[in-house]
Amino acid sequence: MEEFEEELRQAFERRPAPPSLKRRLMERRRTPRPRSYTVVWQRLAACLVLAAFMGSAAVWHQREECRKGEAAREQVLIALRITGHALNHMNQQLAARGRVRK
Amino acid sequence: MAHDWQPDFEQLVDEHQSMVFSLALRMTGDRGLAEEIAQDVFLELDRYLGKIESADHARFWLRRVAMNRSADALRRRRVRCLDLWVEMEDHHGIRVEERASPLAIRLEQLLATLPEPQRAALVLRYQEDLTPEEIAATLQSPLATVKSHLQRGLKLLRAKAQCHLKEYIRVKEQASGA
Repeated sequence: MEEFEEELRQAFERRPAPPSLKRRLMERRRTPRPRSYTVVWQRLAACLVLAAFMGSAAVWHQREECRKGEAAREQVLIALRITGHALNHMNQQLAARGRVRK
Repeated sequence: MAHDWQPDFEQLVDEHQSMVFSLALRMTGDRGLAEEIAQDVFLELDRYLGKIESADHARFWLRRVAMNRSADALRRRRVRCLDLWVEMEDHHGIRVEERASPLAIRLEQLLATLPEPQRAALVLRYQEDLTPEEIAATLQSPLATVKSHLQRGLKLLRAKAQCHLKEYIRVKEQASGA
């Protein structure tokens, strides 16, 4: 096994880096990174998405409140209508009894 | 924490480019990708330079980041290593290594067929001559895991080498006989 490990050490010696590596690296280092613009755009897009989400949530909440209000108003109107009917009915019965007594 | 060591970026590149490139090359098996990884690693070093405290810290940091970037690149590209070596020779016109022996070239090709964690452990052990403890620190893995990867990787590579190199020797002998 030791002999094989020695073979491996020889086989896995470091390879020389391509001569162009340092030149390209220095070029990339000198040029301003376009990535920063990407990050700015990403942040801006994230802000827009968040604002749109919060805006639509607010609109939805407002609409939901309106819908609940409308439903409550409808229920009150129905209740008043039922009460009106009941009172009319009572009045009619009272009027009928009055006529009988006379 | 104050430290006296004043890093010089260009000097660090000169000193360590071969190490970073070789680690990336042996991990990915793709020369073009390895060069790209090496550039990214050094650009990251440039941004991180203020926090580097010593030459040893720089070497350790470069090894760790080179291994991480190589693993990320492999995950992204989901490469099949054996194919990559073929791709390397076909597309990059690579002279695999003028000075490398055919045996060394074949061993590198066989290394590329090992599972990624075993390959990482073996590369750091035999290219960088690190101890299992140092490999564990570089890969941020438990020592027992690293030892297991080293043992299994070595065993597997040896088995593959015995099988493939016998064939290589036989073909070579036949060629010289003819």
